[in-house]
Amino acid sequence: MQKLIETRDIYTDFFTFEGVVKALNGVSIIVNQGETYGLVGESGCGKSVTVRSIMRIVQSPGRIVDGKILLFLSLEDKEQGIDILKRSEAYMESIRGNDISMIFQEASTSLNPVLSIGYQVAESFLLHRLDEMLKETIDTLKGEIESGKFFIAGWWKKFQEFLFKAELDGLEKYTEMVAGIDKRLYELEDAADKASIDERNHLNRKRDRLRKTVPVVQFVRHLPFIKHYGKKLHKTIRIHVVDLLKELGVANPHNVVDMYPHELSGGMQQRIVIAIALACHPKLLIADEPTSNLDVTIQAQIIDLIKILKNTSIASVLFITHDLGLVAEMCDRVTVMYAGDACETAAVKDLFKEPLHPYTKGLLRSVPKLKAQKELESIPGTVPNLIHPPSGCRFHPRCPHAKDICSGDKPPLIEYSEGHFIACYLYI
Amino acid sequence: MVVVLFGVSLFVFAIMMIIPPGRRAAIYVTQEKITPDQMNAMIKKYGLDDPAPVQYVRWLKQILSGNFGYSVTASAPVIEGFKTYFPITLELVLYATPLIILVGIWLGTIGAVHKDKPLDHATRVFAIIGYSLPTFWLGLILLMIFYGYLGIFPPGYLSNKGKDILFSPAFKRYTYILTVDAVLNWRWNIFWDALYHLALPTINLILLNSALILRLMRSSMLEALGQDYIRTALAKGADKRTIYNIHARRNAMIPVITISGILFAGLLGGMVITETIFARDGIGLWMARAALQMDVPAIMFNVLFLGTVFVVFNLIVDVVYAYIDPRIRLA
Ligand SMILES: Nc1ncnc2c1ncn2[C@@H]1O[C@H](COP(=O)(O)OP(=O)(O)OP(=O)(O)O)[C@@H](O)[C@H]1O
Ligand code: SF4
Ligand SMILES: [Mg+2]
Repeated sequence: MQKLIETRDIYTDFFTFEGVVKALNGVSIIVNQGETYGLVGESGCGKSVTVRSIMRIVQSPGRIVDGKILLFLSLEDKEQGIDILKRSEAYMESIRGNDISMIFQEASTSLNPVLSIGYQVAESFLLHRLDEMLKETIDTLKGEIESGKFFIAGWWKKFQEFLFKAELDGLEKYTEMVAGIDKRLYELEDAADKASIDERNHLNRKRDRLRKTVPVVQFVRHLPFIKHYGKKLHKTIRIHVVDLLKELGVANPHNVVDMYPHELSGGMQQRIVIAIALACHPKLLIADEPTSNLDVTIQAQIIDLIKILKNTSIASVLFITHDLGLVAEMCDRVTVMYAGDACETAAVKDLFKEPLHPYTKGLLRSVPKLKAQKELESIPGTVPNLIHPPSGCRFHPRCPHAKDICSGDKPPLIEYSEGHFIACYLYI
Repeated sequence: MVVVLFGVSLFVFAIMMIIPPGRRAAIYVTQEKITPDQMNAMIKKYGLDDPAPVQYVRWLKQILSGNFGYSVTASAPVIEGFKTYFPITLELVLYATPLIILVGIWLGTIGAVHKDKPLDHATRVFAIIGYSLPTFWLGLILLMIFYGYLGIFPPGYLSNKGKDILFSPAFKRYTYILTVDAVLNWRWNIFWDALYHLALPTINLILLNSALILRLMRSSMLEALGQDYIRTALAKGADKRTIYNIHARRNAMIPVITISGILFAGLLGGMVITETIFARDGIGLWMARAALQMDVPAIMFNVLFLGTVFVVFNLIVDVVYAYIDPRIRLA
């Protein structure tokens, strides 16, 4: 199977006043193209931090301190992948929301209260699909000019067309330059000699400095009255936004685009967040507990929506939850996390049939089953403090099978059977 | 709003009633010495020991008919005094407040964006200077440096030559705000002259007052930047500029607006020290004199005026809120 994204031993720390929170302890996961990948674990085990690391949006005081995050997006990087930790911020901006999107735990706080729904969705188009939108706007303008009867309005339209064309030109030049830089960076990806590293740093900085905007256009944008020419572009985008909202089952999309987040229900808000994420047809959608604060019926609707979208418009989904039922229902493969460790990775069937890691076993036993007569078990002890995490296997203070070796070194991740990875000394 | 204004009038009246009738009678006295009998006659004549409600209604009637009494310190009816002094204060406030707010927001944003970096520390130093320096000290230092050593930016509100033109019949006073009138009269020399005199007090006010806005903006910007919607914007691929300017700043502005309204209204009440040091004949200077000379009508009028200004500004702040925050717009 073709990989889409791979993390290799990422360590993410939070440098707080109380000490360094070692939130991720060498997490390695591989999401393949076309699959739904689950990430489960108790609250605070680092699921969100993992996916934020993947998008490189770990909030301060957090920082990814070690590891590799490899992306396999376009054909040419199918082999070795691009290590995004070596790339510039501008490169990440072009990836986020475009190739990898994310939806969040709390829809209500994820939307900006003072910006209209229409604008918040439109921004995705503005950021990643500006060229197409400009072309469309220019086409509409051309049509209007040709069929135009109004003399003055015609001149105004020609002027608008001119500005949009200038903007498009600038954008195309930018894209070309960026493509050149990215190509060279890809060649330099693994180079270790000083000259190459210097060149790489230089190119990354250069990419950060490049601006999409054309100075003339930028200037005109700030002039009174004339600046309204931009409305034409927003009209074009608005059509796309309305279509998108309709597709996602938002009732009355024409009205909703002019509304503000507080005017919508929780389920609708989550649909808007999904719309923002899906606007540019990402290759990977990361869903960080997208239903945890919704009531049950809405939850089911959103899950169904994600399932449908998975089949129609997104290649892969990285699905975070602490609901094992959902994992069984949605996912192809799953990783169980505990206190910043990825303990076990397997196909969902295998994991439920034959859990290996003592923590996974405990987790499965603590889930209510319809047929079961026995009392529910819980895992004794609590999730450790990550400023002073337990040495070796972070689960050892709570593990019923802990041996001496467990508190020594971190257990390596080994492939126990095909596609079933496990990090536990019981299986070595 | 009417209720609040009514409250303000009651309050003002209550202050006035604290002063014993004898003292208040003194306001009507023109000659130097007066016997107790004459004094009592005066109290009777003006009804100064009538029951409070009666006096209040009488006072309110006068106020509503536009009669605010005579001001000793302005040697003119209170309204006339107000007309001469207020525009001078207003002009300074009109120039200084937008600049104070702009500087505060700008530096506050810089501080938040570069949190704990050298630029942030620089804004902090600026804020501490503004907070801790006494007005008179900073004002004097500014005067000493600019006027004393460099010989620019003199105190006062206009040069003598300018005043000659100002008081000549050819110069029409449309608004009583100097710079505006100068432009309307097409006297650019007066305009520059007035601006030249405005520079130092404006700088003084900016240094002293933008610190508050700066600190508020910094903290509310930091708060906004920590919100979930910023994470959404980041995940969308928005660049830093978009995030700061579109996603965070608008939210961060909400508390700043309240303070800006209060600041504007507060400055309108007169800046006693600033106006004294820079010799600008504004409300603040007038009030200082009125307080020293027991010019009750002038003080009453200005307290009433300030109360009204605060009420009006609260209303304006509410309107601006609704413009920025859609959650309020509907409610
Ligand atoms: N801003 C932060 N500052 C300090 N520590 C943090 C911060 N964010 C996360 N952490 C630490 O990282 C660890 C993992 O947090 P994370 O949010 O990834 O958990 P989670 O698995 O997503 O849990 P939940 O199910 O509650 O969302 C937590 O133990 C927390 O202590
Ligand atoms: S490594 Fe040791 S402590 Fe950790 S889960 Fe396995 S047996 Fe338990
Ligand atoms: Mg989480």
